[in-house]
Amino acid sequence: MIEALFEGLFLVLQWKPLAFMALGILLGFWVGLLPGLGGATTLALMLPFVYAMQPVEAFAFLLGMHAVAATTGDITSVLFGVPGEAASAATILDGHAMAKKGEAGRALGAALASSLIGAIVGAFALAIAIPIVRPLVLTFGSPELFMLAIVGIAFIASLSAPGPRGMLRGFLAGGLGLLCATIGQDPQAGIARYTFDMLYLWQGLDLVAVLVGIFAIPEIIDLAIRRSSIAGSLPAGRISKGAFEGVKDTFRHFWLTIRCSLIGTFIGIMPGMGGTVAQWMAYGHATQSARSAEERKGFGAGDVRGVLGPGAANNSKEGGSLIPTIAFGVPGSTAMAILLGGFFLLGLVPGPDMLTKHLPVTFSMVWTIVIANVVTVLACFLLLDHLAKLTTVRGTLLIPAILVLVFIGSYTSNNHYGDILVTLLFGGIGYLMVIGGWPRAPFVLGLVLGKIAENYLYISVARYEAAWLTRPVVLILFVIALAVIAYPFLQRRKAAHA
Amino acid sequence: MRLVVLLLAAVLPGIALGQYYAGKTVTIIVGYKTGGGYDATARVLARHLPKHIPGKPNVIVQNMPGANSIIAANHAYAVAKPDGLTIATFNRNLPIAQLTKVDGVKFDMTKFAWIGSAATESTILAIRADLPYKSFEELKKADKPIVIGATGPGANTYDFPLLLKEFLGLNLKIVSGYQSSADIMLAIERKEVDGRAGSYSSIVRFIERGLVRPVMRARASEPGIEQLPVDENLAPNARAKAIMALRSAPEVVGRPYVMHPGTPAEHLKTMRGAFAAAIKDPELIAETKKARMELDFVDGDVAVKVMQEVLSQPKDIVEEFSKYVKFGE
Amino acid sequence: MHSRASLALALGMMAVSGYAVIAAWAWPWKASLFPLAIGVPVFVLSAAEAAWVVLGTTEKSEVQDVQIAQDVPERVALGRTASAAAWIAGFFAAIVLVGFPAAVPLFVFLYLKLEGRERWVFSAVFTAVIWACFYGLFDRLLHLPFPQGWLAAWLGF
Repeated sequence: MIEALFEGLFLVLQWKPLAFMALGILLGFWVGLLPGLGGATTLALMLPFVYAMQPVEAFAFLLGMHAVAATTGDITSVLFGVPGEAASAATILDGHAMAKKGEAGRALGAALASSLIGAIVGAFALAIAIPIVRPLVLTFGSPELFMLAIVGIAFIASLSAPGPRGMLRGFLAGGLGLLCATIGQDPQAGIARYTFDMLYLWQGLDLVAVLVGIFAIPEIIDLAIRRSSIAGSLPAGRISKGAFEGVKDTFRHFWLTIRCSLIGTFIGIMPGMGGTVAQWMAYGHATQSARSAEERKGFGAGDVRGVLGPGAANNSKEGGSLIPTIAFGVPGSTAMAILLGGFFLLGLVPGPDMLTKHLPVTFSMVWTIVIANVVTVLACFLLLDHLAKLTTVRGTLLIPAILVLVFIGSYTSNNHYGDILVTLLFGGIGYLMVIGGWPRAPFVLGLVLGKIAENYLYISVARYEAAWLTRPVVLILFVIALAVIAYPFLQRRKAAHA
Repeated sequence: MRLVVLLLAAVLPGIALGQYYAGKTVTIIVGYKTGGGYDATARVLARHLPKHIPGKPNVIVQNMPGANSIIAANHAYAVAKPDGLTIATFNRNLPIAQLTKVDGVKFDMTKFAWIGSAATESTILAIRADLPYKSFEELKKADKPIVIGATGPGANTYDFPLLLKEFLGLNLKIVSGYQSSADIMLAIERKEVDGRAGSYSSIVRFIERGLVRPVMRARASEPGIEQLPVDENLAPNARAKAIMALRSAPEVVGRPYVMHPGTPAEHLKTMRGAFAAAIKDPELIAETKKARMELDFVDGDVAVKVMQEVLSQPKDIVEEFSKYVKFGE
Repeated sequence: MHSRASLALALGMMAVSGYAVIAAWAWPWKASLFPLAIGVPVFVLSAAEAAWVVLGTTEKSEVQDVQIAQDVPERVALGRTASAAAWIAGFFAAIVLVGFPAAVPLFVFLYLKLEGRERWVFSAVFTAVIWACFYGLFDRLLHLPFPQGWLAAWLGF
């Protein structure tokens, strides 16, 4: 296996794959940055071009492009509070708050450094998981996935503000998310739930439209109210110097970053979970590292750990989601499904072969992710100064530009005006939530996990009746879920006694 | 100067006759998001159609997902201009939606200007290879229920086994709710479910890998599954046969391509010719072979007949059909 | 303002969950289980929150999310919020009436001139740049379908 590891490296370090990788990185940079250019759509558009390439070159291009989008998506989140990719939404909470405090450089530095570490951890996991990946994925059946979704939902407790009032609002937000997840046709009886006879709602609410609305619109209103630049009245000089500080932060909280990378990788490996959950669970975990109630309140106001967690997780999940795609031919996300199409175009068959006969090709993908991320992060650091300076541009110039991005970003999911209306609606709800002190993170968790939890519950019961409740992994996950729920209460107890 | 006039006189009639499409853009609207089967087929065609259309227009693909492609079909039926520049492709089961009077359907399948179908998509039932049942006969005699994974009502993963269970008496337990057919394949590997139904083109590579074995198919046939027993042929009575036939009818028109009902006849003719030629184009075949896509042109006239057949079923058959098959995901 | 927003949300949630429960009652149990299991507790909890706002004291301090402009007086903030909302709604109306490609430069230019009070030339150039990027990327390169505006349809184009 070690020889395959190095063989994979040498396959990538040829001028052709590197050239294609560079092209992919260039493309991916913009795809991640701009809401409205989804990673999955662009992959689909690029697929025909790889038809004539060799596998290593093709994946250098495709993966180079895709791996980078997760990193640059964080940039728009931090600078403008607009999610460049659905997977970058959690970075907005603390990242953009830091930008508003004049710490844009530091936030960007932290986001980039944690993205790099996340990517490396994810790629590393992909490499070492190869011998154990098949039994691992096969152990996680529908009951385990249901319980994992419950663990995710349990994070709602962590993401709520401390105190009974905070919990109440957090659960309400989560409940709203879960209710919104039921909109659409249900897969058991085929009933169109809560669609108000509108064809548009048949397939449920579009996640991107909701995310863009609930996060970006309140930020735009904030900018409009303050009548200044994003960074307020702070002097420009300070802003960009913080980048190195951000990198140091990543190493100050090294183990947190690693743990969040592992969370991201794990969620990525589980097919059917959908990668967007990873960033929120990582964020929830990051808030658990606060050592006092005071520190806890700092999250959402610009705590760098709130950037490190999601920043790492949304990159590591990329490496993780490659695992079921390569080892089983089962894609972990839409982008992976498209990548799978690439496999077939190139004559490769995902499955056990990729872990034995074509192991060097698999390892070349691992190296591609690592190299592409290193190159991107270095390039971004060079541009950091200019990027951070955008936060000193006056609001009246930024608002129209951001609004155009917001509207386009929401429209291009389905090319339907309904998405823009959804964005506006949830923009209003998001605004009320921010003013009213309701946390938004639980809402997103509920929305993303609701359908998954419901479906896997029904499958588990239909298939195993009651027997699934006593499966070992299910029990372990249940205990974890309880621990996640109890943690904030224990935290307060500890802080009160301290 | 006289030479120029002579040349123009020779060329101009040609332009008037066959060059309507020169310099124009033809749009193919796909009723699904990027990345699915309908989208991939449309994009392959978009790349190879231009050379087979006189005038070599630009051909682009636009996605208009929503309501399982009802939105795209509605758009092509009433909103798009009947100028021969807009083509639509959508869910092959839309005639069933029209038949069962799904709310929101604003089209009539028989009135579209049918270019035809780019492929046949037959449904098969496949069982995990390590199970002892090797054929339909053995399956019928099974003592334990066979667990079949499905995505939800309205998909062939659900409808096909449901009809097999109801009318052919197979001992199947249908577990529904999987996010996608790929998730069902993983559940099969995990031995959580024993098999699944679905389009042959999506299951074929798992058959070749040896994970599953096909045991039954529906009416439409594709190379590789011709010898499998057909569900309707085993139906116990005429009513059951009619219902199964109704479910399978759209499969012949597996990848439908239509234009606005009011499209002028000569444009429709041009397009039919272009599609037929493109699908036979060796470059396209080379590309689709690698992607395991089997394209096969079925002429628009055949498609219209299928639509008429589906939509003229007697009321009692439709009523009974609706009890089992709902249009959905 | 903080408590009014929270009350509005709580009342809204009561309405939404109440409707959700009533609508779900008629469905077969498989389709209604989840909506009911979530809807009923949510209704109770939102009633609790509404009661808490009306009857008790409310501090904003415990929120763990971003803040919107703290240091601007409430009156002024509300006024600017309403104005921003009007611009956003106006942009959407423009998109529906004249189509995306025309609405983008229209909105950007008007906003820069009226809200931003920028100079003519600067506004024109900035608008042109944004429009060029938008058009070049989303129309020319990606061929996104942008429906014709309603105005154009009414006028018979």
